[in-house]
Order: sequence, then structure tokens, then C-alpha cells
Amino acid sequence: MSLFGTTTGFGAGTTGVFGNATTDSHNPMKDVEVTSPPDDSISCLAFSPHTMPGNFLIGGSWANDVRCWEVQDNGQTVPKAQQMHTGPVLDVCWSDDGSKVFTASCDKTAKMWDLNSNQAIQIAQHDGPIRTIHWITAPNYSCAMTGSWDKTLKFWDTRSPNPMMSLQMPERCYCADVVYPMAVVATAERGLIVYQLENQPSEFRRIDSPLKHQHRCVAIFKDKQNKPTGFALGSIEGRVAIHYISPPNPAKDNFTFKCHRSNGTNTATPQDIYAVNAISFHPVHGTLATVGSDGRFSFWDKDARTKLKTSEQLDQPITACCFNNNGNIFAYASSYDWSKGHEYYNPQKKNYIFLRNAAEELKPRNKKW
Amino acid sequence: MAECDAEWELCKENIQPLRHGRTISALHQALCQQHEGNNAALNQKKQAFESELRLYEGDDPLDVWVRYIKWTKQTYPQGGKESNLSVLLQRAVRRFTDDKKYQDDIRYVELWIEFAEGCSDPMDIYRFMQAQGIGTMQAALYIAWSEENEKRGNLKMADSIFQNGVKCGAQPSDKLHVFHRALQARVCRQMMSSMTDQQKDHDDDDDGDEGSAEPQRSSLAELKAKGKKKAVVPINRASASVGYARGLKLKQPLGPKQNSRLMIFDENKNPETEPQDPRLEIWTATPTARAKENEQKPEKWTNVKLPLKSRSGLSVAVPPPVPTFQPFVEEDHQPPAVTPCKINPAVNSVLSARKPCRAQETPLKMLQERSQHTQEAAAEGKTREQSMYCKELLYSGVTEFCFEELRAERYRHKLQSEQ
Repeated sequence: MSLFGTTTGFGAGTTGVFGNATTDSHNPMKDVEVTSPPDDSISCLAFSPHTMPGNFLIGGSWANDVRCWEVQDNGQTVPKAQQMHTGPVLDVCWSDDGSKVFTASCDKTAKMWDLNSNQAIQIAQHDGPIRTIHWITAPNYSCAMTGSWDKTLKFWDTRSPNPMMSLQMPERCYCADVVYPMAVVATAERGLIVYQLENQPSEFRRIDSPLKHQHRCVAIFKDKQNKPTGFALGSIEGRVAIHYISPPNPAKDNFTFKCHRSNGTNTATPQDIYAVNAISFHPVHGTLATVGSDGRFSFWDKDARTKLKTSEQLDQPITACCFNNNGNIFAYASSYDWSKGHEYYNPQKKNYIFLRNAAEELKPRNKKW
Repeated sequence: MAECDAEWELCKENIQPLRHGRTISALHQALCQQHEGNNAALNQKKQAFESELRLYEGDDPLDVWVRYIKWTKQTYPQGGKESNLSVLLQRAVRRFTDDKKYQDDIRYVELWIEFAEGCSDPMDIYRFMQAQGIGTMQAALYIAWSEENEKRGNLKMADSIFQNGVKCGAQPSDKLHVFHRALQARVCRQMMSSMTDQQKDHDDDDDGDEGSAEPQRSSLAELKAKGKKKAVVPINRASASVGYARGLKLKQPLGPKQNSRLMIFDENKNPETEPQDPRLEIWTATPTARAKENEQKPEKWTNVKLPLKSRSGLSVAVPPPVPTFQPFVEEDHQPPAVTPCKINPAVNSVLSARKPCRAQETPLKMLQERSQHTQEAAAEGKTREQSMYCKELLYSGVTEFCFEELRAERYRHKLQSEQ
């Protein structure tokens, strides 16, 4: 992976040198562009787990397809395979052994894609679009967890057409994350539920939302012993909450911070607030990345409570992001997230996935890790 | 068929009456669905309306709201919280407050009137409407407003409202006149009946018995006074206007005018302190909606704290005396079974620490904030913060949507229209 170092000051917001505007504004960070990106907005990205050699990137899009690329060590991306759904794909995830990919779609089904045979079979069915899918590996069971807009959370043994378990939620599932033995689901109307997955999945606690606006994305983080201990929750109005499940001092340990807003120090013009589209934790450093509707990504250290870096502004919102299994690569997707509705949608606009070297920039401030 | 009728008969009391009546088939279907708990179809229809609200691109967005509200009323005959009818009305009304196009649209005005009737203080709403120019050309506004005044006994005010309506040239004007004349007739009768009774009171001071005998029998007659005392239990079976039906020869005036020895303050007789025309106040916001039940968070009842007992003297609470007898225990006595707890004890949010009470969000406050914002913006040429997403689209209907849901709805619509 070649190193690209562009560290311009925060707030400078250049959209490109005059004359190079078109090329720079879509990739101002000059990161590696993935070849053959999807034709419509990218909804989700996922890198292969460490159990598999190499780096394979999966991306689902609103063009109803899921694509797989191999990311080689020299930075080259090679498109490998593609699968289709009958509706836009909303979420993807890998099985723990890296041989299968699970895809969830608006067509109310979820599929399991065997990469070796390039066959995909349906493994789940809901009454509404499936918004999230995660693979759970427990000592005594393995299953796929699907969260849907039909207000249910279902668990699927891939061999059976019926779910092994179905849990009712108070509202539609908007985002979820799983790190065994914990699962967090954020729903509409600011609902927040934590599940414990030992033995069998069950509701652990319902939490009052630390945020005042619609929940948009959630990611679980781990403690120094590699156990899940809390989660980061992003809202539709430029704010992320860091919430620990059982902190020694909740008032002090839990906090929220503002992000993806414009004109931080400049009070003369109104501050524009953008949605936080995705949150990802670095698998090694424990620092986090957020991507927003403003077309920027930011890296944060939640323990030192500081911002590590903010990118230049892309000309489109960033809709998805993820780290690879060893934290060297940060992938982010630039496409329209529908934050301003139908009128601002331009089907002709190209969508991109960028890859960036993440080894250095996400080192925590205080080197706690 | 007999069974179908029975369904409806069984919950007559729970069915909210509609002015224009209900279609029996829709009513029956709604009751059956609720009985069976068939929510999936209801949810789908609701979802369809919600997405239509957001995806509509025609000239008449009010039409979607009107249909949604009509469907809600038919489907949830009991009204109540799950129908979200009050929320819907509130949203619909606020959505088009600034829209000049709908100001005199009868459908919109009727929505406002329905909203007002559900509020704790409809008078505020009507005054706001007049100040904003909503429905000022519609007879319905004046009729409803006047009726409200009449209910409260402000007959003079009710009359002046009609006069105002006539002055504004509200349509349909003949309807307005009919209602106005009806009101005037009622007022006259009431005044006359109270006048004749007062005269009678003066005349029959010594006469203990009932005054002029009433040859005809009247059902539901007033309780007649017995003995020297004139005091009679006041009866107020219906609103003031109904009294007319009993005939002019009523002895007892209806309303708070009994026991005429006492000079009871009567606002209708005293000179009006308010000016004739209803004052046009500058209203910047719609007034409070109905007090929302079950939506307030629990709060402390009082600030009273029980004082801690002083250290000296009666410091220790005396424990209850041990009974001198042995409580009888049955042989096969078992400890009371633990009541089955539906709430998982691990879910401790039920008993979480009380949070400071969130100020009740009334439409007044929300609109005031919005108008303050826009006022500040106008004054200083800026707003403090600006959300860079389509808030209106997301929060248009009763429930919220996320970006993906919006997009998915549009995708679904496109698919349907292509098929």
C-alpha cells in the first residue's frame, strides 16, 4: 500500500486547485480508488476477517448488487465477483471463517454467498426490508442475526427456512452491531436495546438514548482485554455518543461529541450540521473513524477525547466505511446518501470507494494501547 | 348478518360520533380488525399513507392529509392514542399554517375546527385563526366559534362573532344567516323567559304556592317549589338553547339564575367589558393543544420533604408491637408464589432514576421556537444552527423516516408504477 500524506489544516476546505477542480474534489485525499465501483450509492462495506489470507472487500449498493474485490499489497484492486438481489442491498457481513458473505436487502430477504462456488442462497425472510445482518459465532451456536424495518430481530441457522429465534423490537431497526457476546440495536424513535448472546440471544437492557436526534449508526468497542464494553452511537445531527455498558462512573465516563459540522469557530455564519453515516473502530488501536454527509471522514481517540484528523471535503457524502482485519487499510465510500431527498439525486454521478493507509493516522494520542 | 350487527352493537359507547356519519361497512371492518388484532394490514395501509405524504409531488398536498385523517377516523372508531388522530390533526394544521393557498380552503378550515374542538381551549385556536386569516371567509369558522361561545354562555360574544362573519362576507352567506338568526332567536327567548320570571318573582312575593297554574302536563318538568321558601333545586339538564323547547311559560329560568333573592352576577346582563368586536390579537403561535394524557413524564408531586426526626427524644421510629398471639399458619401453607414478572429484572430502566421533567412540548412552544428562530434570523440575518438534511421529509407524517426508508419507498413506488 503506498503512503499518501495529505495533512492540510482543519477547516481549510479546499475543493481543489483552480483548473483541477473536477479531479480533486472527488478525491481530495488522493486515496486509492477501487476499480469498477458500483453504479449506485454504496450502502455498506466489509473487509474479510483475519482467518482468511489477503484482503477482500465486499460492497453492497442501491443498484441491487454486491461486489467483491481483492485488495493486493501493492494497492491494486481486482474485481472478483458479483451477486444480485431483487432490491437494494442495505448491509453485508462476513462469516467468521471468511468463506461466506451474508447480504441483506430491501427485497426482504437475506442471502448467503459462498465465495468458493460463487453461489448465493436465501437464508432469511422478513415482512419488511432487512436493514442489518451480522454473523454470530458462539461456543454453542452460530447464526446470522437480521434486523428489519418490520420491527423484528431474527436469528437464522442457515440450514433452516425458519428462524431459530425471533425477538420483537419496539420500533424499526435502524442500525446494529455485534461483538460476541454483546449486540446493540438502535431503532427508530431513538430506541436503543442491548442484547446478550451467551447461550441464546436475549434482551439485556433497554437504554435511554444519549442522543436527541434520530439514530443513524452504531459500533461496539472493546476494552483492553478485548471484551466488548460499550458502543459509539451516531445521530442524524452531527453528534456521536460514547456509551459504556457498565462504567464505574456513568456521568463521567459516558459522553457525546459534536462532529461533521461546518464553521466550528466561525460564528458569523450559521453552523451546518450533517448526519453521521457510519462509525468504525480500528481493530488494533481502538480509535474510531466517523464518516458523514458533509463528505468528510474524521478519526478520533475516545479515551483521550480528542480528534486525530479530519479529511478534506469530498464533493459527495461518505456513506460507508470499514477497516481491514489488521487495521492497515481504511475504506470509505463516496456516494449520495439521500440526506436531501430525491431532488438532489443525480444518477449520472459516479460513486467511489477509496482505500487509505490507516496504520499511522489512527494511533491513539496517549498510547494507552 | 345478525352477528355483524351484534359486533357494532356491543361497543356503541366506544365509537366516537362523526358529524358526517360513519359508513357501516367501514365501521364493522374496523371493529373486526381490532377484535382480531389484525395489525399487519392496518400497518401496511398506514405505511402507504406515510410514504404518500412524503413522495407526493402534485399540487394538492392537503388532499393526502385529508384522506389520511379520514381513513384514521374510520379505522379507529374509538379515537384514542393509537389512532394518533390528535397528532395527525396537529401536524396537518401546522404544516400549512403559512400556506396562503389553503387559507380559505374549506377542507383545511374544517381540519382546524376539528383540531380546535380537541383542544383544551378552542377559543384560543379560533382567535389565532382569525389573526392569521385562516378561514375568515368561511362560514364554518364563525359558526363553530359562535357555538363554542354559546356553550359557555357568552351569548353577546356569540352574536358579535356572527356579525363579524357577515361583515367579512363569509361564504356561504345564507348558511351564516340561518345560524345567526337561530342564535338570535335563542337569545331572545332566554332573555324573555328570564324577564317574565323576574316579573313573576316580584309579583308573587307572598304567594308560597306555584304561580300561575300550568294546565298542560310537561314531561321532565321542573321541580316545583313547596312552602314559603322559593328555593328550588336548580336543574340544568341541557344547554341554554334547549330550554326553548319547553315553552315560554317556564317558571324557572335555566342557567345560573335561580334563587333570585341573591344577586347573582350575570355576565350577559352586565355591560360588556370587552369591545363588541373580538379583539384581533397578534398571535405569533398556535395556542396549546389538548392536555396530552399519558404523555407526561412522571415528576415529583411536591417539594415537601418529611422532616428528619431530631436526634433527641423521639428519634427512633417505634417498631410495631409484636402480636401477642401466634398468627395461624395452615398446615400446607406455602409461601406466596412470586408474582410472575413480565419485566425482566435485568431490564432496570423501569426503575431508573427520575430524570428532570421534560417541559411539555406543546405546539405553542414548538411554533414559538420556530417563529423565534425565524424572527432572530430575520433580525440578525442568520440562524445559529442549520440541519443539512431534509427534516421535513423525514418527520412529515406521524412516525419518523430515515434516509434509507425514504429512498426505499421511492424505489418501491417506481417499481410499482413500472409494473
